[in-house]
Amino acid sequence: MRTISWEFGVERKGKRVLAADRNWDMGDRAAAAASAIFLDNVEKTYGGRSGVRALAPITAVLSAGETVGIVGPSGCGKSTLMRLIAGLEAPTAGAIRIGDRPVSGPVPDIGIVFQRDLLLEWRRVLANVMLPAEIKGLAGLESRARELLAELDIAGFAEAYPWQLSGGMRQRVAIARALLTGPKLLFLDEPFSALDALTRDQMNVLLQRLQTSHGVTTLLITHSISEAIFCADRVLVMSGRPGSVLDDIRVPFERPRRLALRETPAFTAIGRRIREHFEKAGVLVG
Amino acid sequence: MIAGLFWPLLSGAIGLGLWQGLVWAFNVPSFLLPGPWQILLTIFQQWPYLLAQLGITMAAAGLGLLISVALGLAAGAAIASSRLVDRMMTPWLVIAHAIPKVVIAPLFLVWFGFGLQSEVFFVVAFTFFPVIVNTVTGLKSADPEQLLMVRAMGATPAQVLHKIQFPSALASICAGIKLAVTLAPVGAVIGEFVASNAGLGHLLIRAVGDMDTPLAFAAVTVFSIFGVLLWRAAEWVERRVLPWHPSQRDSFLLRDAST
Ligand SMILES: Nc1ncnc2c1ncn2[C@@H]1O[C@H](COP(=O)(O)OP(=O)(O)O)[C@@H](O)[C@H]1O
Ligand SMILES: [Mg+2]
Repeated sequence: MRTISWEFGVERKGKRVLAADRNWDMGDRAAAAASAIFLDNVEKTYGGRSGVRALAPITAVLSAGETVGIVGPSGCGKSTLMRLIAGLEAPTAGAIRIGDRPVSGPVPDIGIVFQRDLLLEWRRVLANVMLPAEIKGLAGLESRARELLAELDIAGFAEAYPWQLSGGMRQRVAIARALLTGPKLLFLDEPFSALDALTRDQMNVLLQRLQTSHGVTTLLITHSISEAIFCADRVLVMSGRPGSVLDDIRVPFERPRRLALRETPAFTAIGRRIREHFEKAGVLVG
Repeated sequence: MIAGLFWPLLSGAIGLGLWQGLVWAFNVPSFLLPGPWQILLTIFQQWPYLLAQLGITMAAAGLGLLISVALGLAAGAAIASSRLVDRMMTPWLVIAHAIPKVVIAPLFLVWFGFGLQSEVFFVVAFTFFPVIVNTVTGLKSADPEQLLMVRAMGATPAQVLHKIQFPSALASICAGIKLAVTLAPVGAVIGEFVASNAGLGHLLIRAVGDMDTPLAFAAVTVFSIFGVLLWRAAEWVERRVLPWHPSQRDSFLLRDAST
């Protein structure tokens, strides 16, 4: 089972790379393959035997380089799943592996973007982006930080304080911070849900661009079905608590994708398929 | 700025005028209540003496403040970062805090003897609690999600303290230190009442003993003016330390615009 998934992951990687039209050398490819995520009957219950069952057993493989969207009702354990994979919490049962390394503590090679941007108010933008480098003791990343700010169209705000930025700009800073050390995995936990619709669209386009240029394995948790489809190569649909995977949908559209894609029949068909799951389960998407 | 100063100045002038008028009208003896004019004259006449005594008081206050800030920060960090230390130390702190410090001032004479050291230790006792309480509160109020984030980045406990908890606590720590700054000179004067033959506190005791009430008033005036200046200085430092803080944003914008 695992070996099959493993090869499948590598193969998927190859396709993605071709589609993204990026030149990966063998070293890159091996490194990327090491970032596939294997979930083997992962369960989480909070607060002992009689506690809250957050996650029902989940088995899944997230291939290297792939962007996986996760949608599900509020409280179904999406954030929990992310914390488990990042090694911030231990699963109650089951095993998680990234590449060939079992997850048993905080995984260093992950960039995480949370719903709240979590910028440090006392630091200017550039210093905020530099935070992971300081913590990991990596020198010489300042030019990299400036490049990222430029890539995210906020180069002019490097010396601003967070309170001087709009919500969308703050979240861009958070994304730059997550990407600074060139992590193999990028986790986004409802990163745009505090933003207005227009800004959100902009951020979705931006995320597209980043995926093409960085090619990191990305986990995008969202409560927007169209955001999940638009950004992801694959959407996992989760049930209400305790969360389990109801459906696993490939999103075949080529990149780069345009926002107009969302009006095409193929796109709306996927949306309908996801919505039907929630209607059947009698939950609203939260 | 000028318009803002008009009313307080007018009010002050009327108050002082009334005071002076009453002293003159009823011919109040100066050992009972000197008028503002006489107090002002005394300040001028005794300026070098007053300044020297103020210097002694402020040196003791400053030294005590320094010690209590250092102790308060260190102990606050220890309490905030270890649940064991928290549980062991907090009851003692609560009890120690509940003791009115003025009541035990004479004991400092017994413990530390007559002189500067006694006074400094009393200042420490007087100013330690606002610092430690605000340090602990500040360190514990860091955003839990930010803590989770840096832990995900692989931060060590020392890094978490240095990068997140301490900066988050800075506003609260500043508030505690500002409080301590205003308390320290008061503590020093009380210490001098009890255990010193120098400083403004001693000067006050002596002036009152000599029925030299104008000198006592002069000392109180100088002391109060210095207190206000000290407060202003503390606010100035706070603005430099917390340029990003919501309470400082207006001034930050103004400063930005003017440069
Ligand atoms: N640290 C925790 N302790 C106890 N219960 C928790 C904790 N974290 C999450 N839960 C519970 O687990 C369930 C799933 O939470 P979460 O993963 O945050 O859901 P989602 O992100 O899908 O909205 C919720 O019912 C929540 O109350
Ligand atoms: Mg969540």
